[in-house]
Amino acid sequence: MIDRASETGVPHAALLLAFADAVIAGNAIEAQRDRVIAALGDAAMIDAAAVVAGFDGITRIADATGIPIEPAKAEQTADFRSELELG
Amino acid sequence: MRIRADLRAAQEHAWDGIGQAGSWWSGAERVAIASETRHAVRCELCAARRETLSPAMVAGDHSSLGTLPAAAVEAIHRIRSDSGRLSGQWYHQALDGGLSEEQYVELVAIVAVVVAVDTFRTAVGVSPLDLPHPHDGAPTRIRPRGARHGIAWMATLAPEDRTAEDPDLYREHPGPRERYGANIHLALSLVPCAMMQWWDMFECMYLTSPTMRDFGHEYRAVTHAQMEMLAARVAALNRCHY
Repeated sequence: MIDRASETGVPHAALLLAFADAVIAGNAIEAQRDRVIAALGDAAMIDAAAVVAGFDGITRIADATGIPIEPAKAEQTADFRSELELG
Repeated sequence: MRIRADLRAAQEHAWDGIGQAGSWWSGAERVAIASETRHAVRCELCAARRETLSPAMVAGDHSSLGTLPAAAVEAIHRIRSDSGRLSGQWYHQALDGGLSEEQYVELVAIVAVVVAVDTFRTAVGVSPLDLPHPHDGAPTRIRPRGARHGIAWMATLAPEDRTAEDPDLYREHPGPRERYGANIHLALSLVPCAMMQWWDMFECMYLTSPTMRDFGHEYRAVTHAQMEMLAARVAALNRCHY
């Protein structure tokens, strides 16, 4: 995984990505959760958790149905997808 | 810690819906699919396959609860544990194993709901929900008349193919739902109730189509940019092709 959180320009990117990584890996979740709460508050942690969990589900739907990404979206995200070695 | 009321309600509604008879599975079968989804996390065959270059390199039997047909167990376990390496060939093997494409789509939706709800509760540090109570009732066995093959492995109902007898899955007039018919919206459309159960919950966890595109207003305690970054990270971690 290429970690370029500091280059995204998204506020608290590293913190949120570490939380997402912990949740998906099922490892050290409590520590990362506490960091998000300390920096952004309960509501942000809950909404971040909801996004992570929602996409943990919807990625299953996409991959289990073979639904293709729209050509325009694929073109817009080509660099990013290549960087992450996605198909 | 206070979970948004709409988020809590949406998840509880989707969860309880698992126990209701669906279109192609009974309530008891749908709860069995949910239970098997949780069980798959502890399957040794799935764990061994994840470590190999190709899942086909490892033979064996899944650790199963034994209540569902083998084809359903294989589908549930692979979708739960290794969804990034599924293929059209694997899907057709599931059909050859006895699943109908409608049963498969409904199964996918149940697995996705279980994954999303369980992941959320783990993330925020609350205990998992008990499995829903299975209700009596027969599956409706209603397939959209306008569904056709083309874009996905299975038939889908695109907005332009909808017949007068088919439900409006994308825009209700009047109604609260506004879905633009993106490819991902179509994925579960062969089973309308499964599609509705998933998207009604997912839009509370993320955003609706209109709010997703409204960059002038933030609807959550994290920003659009933060949400998109998190979504992309999860897709990459799960090796999602979409």
